[in-house]
Parts: sequence; structure tokens; C-alpha cells
Amino acid sequence: MLNSPAYMHIPDGYLSPLTSLILFILVLPFWYRGVRGLRRRINARNVPLIALMAAFSFIIMMFNVPLPGGTTGHAVAGALVAIVLGPDIAVIAISIALIIQAIFFGDGGILQIGANCFNMAVVLPYISYAIYRLIAAGRPITSRRRVVGAAVGGWIGLTVAAFFAAVEFGIQPIFWHAADGAPLYAPYSLSVAIPAMVIPHMLIASVIEGLVAALVVLYLQRANTPVLEMAERPAGAVEAEASGSVSRLRWLWVGLIILVIATPLGLLAPGTAWGEWSSSQLANMGLMFIPHGMAALENLWGAPLAGYDLPALGNTSLGYVLSALVGVALVAIIAWLFTRLFASAQPHEGQKEQ
Amino acid sequence: MTSRAEPALPQPASVRRRNGMVERTLAGISQAMEHALFAEETARRAGLLQALDPRVKVLAMLALLIAVALSRSLAVIAGLYAVTLALAWASAIPLGFFIKRVWLFLPFFTGVIALPALFITPGPPLAQLPLGLAITRAGATTALFLLLRVSTSVSLAALLIFTTPWNDVLKALGVLRVPDAVILIFGMTYRYIYLLLRTANDMFLSRKSRVVGRLSGAEERRMIGASAGVLLGKSLHLSSEVYLAMQSRGYRSHSHTPSVATFVMRRRDWAALFIAALIAAAAIVLGR
Amino acid sequence: MNNETVFELRDVAYAYEGKQTALEHVSLSIQAGERVAVLGSNGSGKSTLLKLLDGLYFATHGVIRAYGQQLTEAAFDDDAFNFAFRRRVGLVFQDTDVQLFSPSVWEEMAFAPMQLALGRQEVEARVDDALRALRIEKLRDRAPHRLSGGEKRRVALASVLTLQPEVWLLDEPTTGLDPRSQSWLIDFIAEQGQAGKTVITATHDLSIVDAIAERVFVFDESHHLAAQGAAGDILADNGLLLACNLSHAHRHRHAETGEEHTHPHSHPPAHTHQHAAGSQGSTADVQSH
Repeated sequence: MLNSPAYMHIPDGYLSPLTSLILFILVLPFWYRGVRGLRRRINARNVPLIALMAAFSFIIMMFNVPLPGGTTGHAVAGALVAIVLGPDIAVIAISIALIIQAIFFGDGGILQIGANCFNMAVVLPYISYAIYRLIAAGRPITSRRRVVGAAVGGWIGLTVAAFFAAVEFGIQPIFWHAADGAPLYAPYSLSVAIPAMVIPHMLIASVIEGLVAALVVLYLQRANTPVLEMAERPAGAVEAEASGSVSRLRWLWVGLIILVIATPLGLLAPGTAWGEWSSSQLANMGLMFIPHGMAALENLWGAPLAGYDLPALGNTSLGYVLSALVGVALVAIIAWLFTRLFASAQPHEGQKEQ
Repeated sequence: MTSRAEPALPQPASVRRRNGMVERTLAGISQAMEHALFAEETARRAGLLQALDPRVKVLAMLALLIAVALSRSLAVIAGLYAVTLALAWASAIPLGFFIKRVWLFLPFFTGVIALPALFITPGPPLAQLPLGLAITRAGATTALFLLLRVSTSVSLAALLIFTTPWNDVLKALGVLRVPDAVILIFGMTYRYIYLLLRTANDMFLSRKSRVVGRLSGAEERRMIGASAGVLLGKSLHLSSEVYLAMQSRGYRSHSHTPSVATFVMRRRDWAALFIAALIAAAAIVLGR
Repeated sequence: MNNETVFELRDVAYAYEGKQTALEHVSLSIQAGERVAVLGSNGSGKSTLLKLLDGLYFATHGVIRAYGQQLTEAAFDDDAFNFAFRRRVGLVFQDTDVQLFSPSVWEEMAFAPMQLALGRQEVEARVDDALRALRIEKLRDRAPHRLSGGEKRRVALASVLTLQPEVWLLDEPTTGLDPRSQSWLIDFIAEQGQAGKTVITATHDLSIVDAIAERVFVFDESHHLAAQGAAGDILADNGLLLACNLSHAHRHRHAETGEEHTHPHSHPPAHTHQHAAGSQGSTADVQSH
């Protein structure tokens, strides 16, 4: 339907059942973690809290957000919900919203619930939250750094989620094709799928995701600060106070660990995935024909990582791990840079977190 | 929607402004509400699928979805699509609407992806087009796979929703071993989606009525921040009030909410389940 | 009617998050079988009082007893106590959207008896009885978000009626009701009273007080119990009602002349009232005005 970011909602038919199943299994521990965390932390209160936040996510996905220049789009609101509730609970709330969209509105395939929840309800909130906490650096709730953290967190979070979706698409023609070579599911190789998904997201959908998170944080700073304190308080006030910086880092690690988990499954290969499954290799495998335009794009995209001499390593799985590490490092560096940038811009009054 | 709301006002055709974010969001909201209302209405009609146990429908839908996903034969998927059409017809769902709903929505995602696949998938050319483009046989196959798989899957999901009250769908999820607490949360989410939809709708309508002319992009963005923030505050407040309301009626953190489903499998339900399993199995075998 | 004391409050105070005062120095007691109205303007603490009586909030100062037992968080941690209390006392929230959280009317009505672990058949019987009693059989399978305001109010009552409570706590039950539903609601309260139930209604609607209560508690805007007494006496005391922002210098027609007047706002402010706090206050306080 028209009322959601159709881009990210993978329909049935795009992924092979095996891919869907693997992604579904990958989401399970996060659902478990969310539900268990819920039971431990705010117990029975959570039933209505989750329900209302899931309903809220659903509604926010319908907001039509204009970007400067006239483009409009929708946010997933995963970053926002993670900032307010913490990522563990956000996983559950966004998953429920996505599942209702899939079953009731046909937005996203029913067999792809695992895939869509993995991209939008796991990757997006954890990455966004890690970056938000990192940039917020424990500053007061009304600090401008929190607005920036929400914006950057949303932007990077959804971009990474789009990247995951692209990889999921991109590995389809490698493994599944009909007798005559026609791809059975998503038809495009990684070299096409990744730029085709990631670039528009970086320019539009991710901007909207970050924008919505930042706008709402800005509003809440002025009008409703207790809401912004929630994610930091119920996480166990004692725990958070005892280890302010440690818990901040912990979130970053959770985000990064997700990235790494996916690596061995070949679900992730930042920057160089198509370097490995390069057009020539794919052509050799008789799978793919890359038009000239796409080949040019491929070179452009691969350029920044040209020094990263993957073929020399000659080992596929090692290549995957390495490229994942590169991606992880990239995210970490970007987040760190932002932290530095705003740490110097912001006077250090009221460092303490309440 | 907008034009219907203000028929008496003169509106110079040349100054038809691009719809703002408020109008688009309102349109999206009313679309969602209409969809829900329509589904509720068709689910009440007398028809083949409406008469079946929801659990059978959920299981049958999943089996057929998997068959569609696994099939490597276009003919088999086309056959399953024909089955969904027959079922829609037998369930008093207007066929034209049913087909249109699926195929109008396809281009937004699938068309964009399937179309280039026609040309760039390698293989012997099927038809030569201007600009040196050629549709390849493999390209056509790929595009057809995508289109048929997506439309058949969407049709299967739509069949469930158009013939089963949402509440029964939720209860039926119990057969998939979805825990009762989760079903409780789903029911509550769905119920409050409507409340928040209405709240958002009123919020935007009142905003619209107060604004003369068009908002600038920056103003619209500020408004989104405020509306979403208000909605968030309201949702959170509501959640703690609802918690009190549940507590007041005896709900405890460790209390179990027994599923209230009272479905009874009748002979025709078993028959339907059997037939669905048979079709799915046949499709999987034939489509290998 | 027996003279068992249902609720007894001694110098109770409640503050939200320990800061924002909602009630202060409240002492009162309510007997079994009484019909009582809690009057006060918006924000005077009526809703808070009902939530305190229902064991949803706990006094930040003072003591609340229900059936002789003190209501504390610890008391409700005990399943047996929680069970016994919830079974006897039912609260209908002002906002029906809060009260009705289930996906269908039937489930809404079955929620309370299910939580109280009544058997399946008993639950069904109770729901059927309540559906009939409130004449809402037609709504049985409807979703709450498809109901009209009046229907929602009936279902909200029905969702507590299945508990068969001894004590009804009703928070602004006439909100959003058309005159017909309003008179139906008054009949419902009267029936419950005749059946020996205790009915405590919070409202700012003076026009229904006579019909739903024998005794009235009035709260002022500084969150104190300003007065209590027989319904007739309280309603006759326009000064008190004005001071508590329950009536305003309203236009009304003089019967003899048929002239319309606007009374000036020349009434003494609220603090000239003695608080009923501490004393088992009576109409004496009120008459001192």
C-alpha cells in the first residue's frame, strides 16, 4: 500500500524461503531478549506499553514527511522508538507494527516477516540507539547533542538496514535460478542491489528517519522531557548510574555485534561485497550480465576500497569477515567523529546525567 | 478527498497546488481506515472461506505461501493464483476489486524491480526494442516469476483478511504456538491503532482548518515533530492508564490470560485443511 | 442495609511522583450500601480519590482502609488479598478508550472474570447476563473502536458488571452521553443502589447529583475536602458550589418576572471555608458559610 516506506518492506517472492527462514531464526533471540527484558524490568505494565508503542510506530509510519527540495517519504520510526524505549523494547514494538502491516495491510510479505523485522526492527533500532547514546554522551536530556544523535542515529541506522536488505536481495541470484539461468527471486546482483538500495536511502528515506527522530526529540526537549528520560531510567536506574559510560559503550557493542553475527551467513559484506562477487566472476558463473552503466557504477562504488585487496586473500569467508570488520569500523569511526565534533562544539556544563 | 470536502469553493484549475504533507497523511489515514472497514464488511458476508475455521485458513494460507515461494515453475504459480481468484469469487469478494487491489499496488515495488530485469538478464533475445534494448527470455521469466509470486502471495494474505475478522485471525495464531500474552498485545495494538489514527486525523484536520495557504517545508517539518511528539506523549499516558484499568479488573504481572478462542473443527474444516494441504503438496512437487 | 464500613480514609494525601499534590488532608468514611457523589471541578482530585479507593494509587500520607484492611502496595502483592479486593470493588474509568482495551466487546466483558480465574462456563454465563442486563446483546462481537459514545459507556459498565462488584466506583460516567443515555445511566445507578451495592460516583455534573447520591463530598481546587453532607443540603449551598468552581455566576430566568439575570461574581473565595479534614465533617462546615 501507499502508506508506508514500501522500499524497505520486502514482499513475498523476493527472497528464497531459505533466506527468509535464516533471517527469521536470526530475529528470534532478539524477540526473546526483548520479551525477557520486559518481564524483568517493568513487568505487567509492559503489555499496554508495548501495545501503545506498536500502535504509535504504526501511525508514525503513515506520516508523510517533506524533505527540502520537494521529495516526501515515510519514516520507519525505529530510531525514534529506540531512543524513547530503549532498543530491546523497540524491537518488540516495531516488530508488532510490521507484522500487523504484513498480515492486515499486505505491506511486506508474510513469509518475509523475519527478514523485515530483522532489517527494520533489529538492525535499525540497535544501530540508531548505539549511535544516539554515543553522540549524546550522557549529556543532559535537553542537550543539543541529543538532537544531533537522534538525527545521525536514524540516518545511519536506516542506511545500514537498507544495506542489509540489499545484501539479502543481492545474494538471491547467486544461489537460486531456474534451469535457463533466469533468477527465481530478486534478480539483481549485489553490485546492482547495494547501490540501488543504499544510495537512495542515504539521500531520502534515511534522511527522513533521522529527521523524524530529531524533530521529535527536539519537541520532547521543549515539551515533555520525562519521556526522553524513560529509556535511561527503567533500564535499571542503579545499573545506569553505576556505569554511565560503560552502558553507553555496551549499546554500541550490541549494535556492532549484530553486524558481525550476520557475517558468516554471507548476509553482510560492506563496501566490497560486489568486489567479491564482481561482475566478471558472476559472468564466469554464468549468472549475471551487468550492463555498462551498472559496471561503471560498480567501479565508482568500489573505488574507495580499491586498496582493500580482497582477491589476493583468495578466501571467501575470510573476505566476508574482513569486509564486515571494515563496515563495522566505518560505522564506529563515523560515530566517533561526530562525538568529537560535538564534544568540542558543546560547552561542558552539566556533564552529569540525572 | 480534499476536492470532495470543499465542492462549493471556486478553485482555479491552474493554481492546483501540490498536495501538502497534511493532505497526503490524511489521505493515507483514510485509506487505511477504508481498507479496514471494507475487510470487516467482507468478513461478515456469507461465503466459502467465511464459513471456515480461522485456524484452518491461517494454516492453509501458510502452506500455500510456502508452495508459492518454493515453486520453480511459472505454470504452477499461475495455477495457484487462479485458485486464489476462485476462492475470492466463492467468498463473495468482488473479483474486480480483488484483482485491482493486488495489481495496482504491485508497480510500487515490483514493477520498478521487474521491469529492468526484462532487459538486463542475460539470455537469447525474445524481442528487439528500440534504443538497442532487448527483452531476453530469461529476463521475461524472471520478471514473470517476481510478478506472479508477489501477486499470488499478496492475494493469499488478502483472502485471509477479507474473510476473517481480525480478532479471529489473532485467536487463530494460537495454533502457531504464539503465546497468549503476545496475542493479547496484538489485539490491544490493533485496537489502539484506531484510536491513534483518529487522534492523528483530528490533529491534522484541525491544523488544516487553521492554515490558510500552504505551509513551507520547514513549517511542515516542525509540525511533524510536534504532532508526533504529542502523539507519543498521549500513547505513553494512555498505556499507563490502560495498565491501571487492567489492574483494576484483576490483571497481574504473572496472571495468565487464557485464550478465549472457542473454535470447533467441523467436518468441512477438516476437508478444507486436507484439500489445502493437497494443493500445496501438489504445487511443491510439480513446481520442483 | 448493614452498617459495615467499606472505606475509611484518615488524613490522606496523594502527590504524583511525590511532587504534584492531587489530594491533601482527606478524611472520610463510606458505609456499605450508600450511594455517594464526589463533587469537584476538573483537577480537584476526584479521579485520584477513586484510584486510591481502588488500590491503584497508594496514599503518600495517611491511611486508607477498605473493609477494615489497609490498602498498601504490599497488601496487593498478596494474591489472595488482591483477588478478594478486585472481586468486590469495580472502577469504571472516565475515558472509555482506557477502559475498553480488548479487541471485542465479548472479550472486554470476559476480561475481569477470567483474571479472577472463574471457570469458562461461569464466565460465559456472567457475560451473557451482563449483555442482557445492559441490553447490548447486539454488540457482543463488535470491536470497541466501532462503537458510539453511548455504546462505549454501556460496554464499559458491562465490563465491570461481569465482576458483580459490591462497590462501584464511577468516574464521570455521564461524560459524552446524550440525555437519553444519561437518564438510562441514572436508572442503572439507582438499580445498583436498590440491590444493596455501594455506588461512589465522581462528577462535576450537578444536575444528576440528586438522582445518584444521598450523600455528597465536595472537593475544592486546592485539593481539599471542602464539605460533606446530604445531597440536598450541599446542592442548596450555592456559595460553596461557586467557591469550588462547580457552579458559575450563571444566567438564569427568574420565575416571577421572566427576566434574565447575570449574577455577579461576588462570592468569597474558597479558603474562607473550613476544611472538613480531621473532623468527621458535617453540614455544619457548610452552613458556616
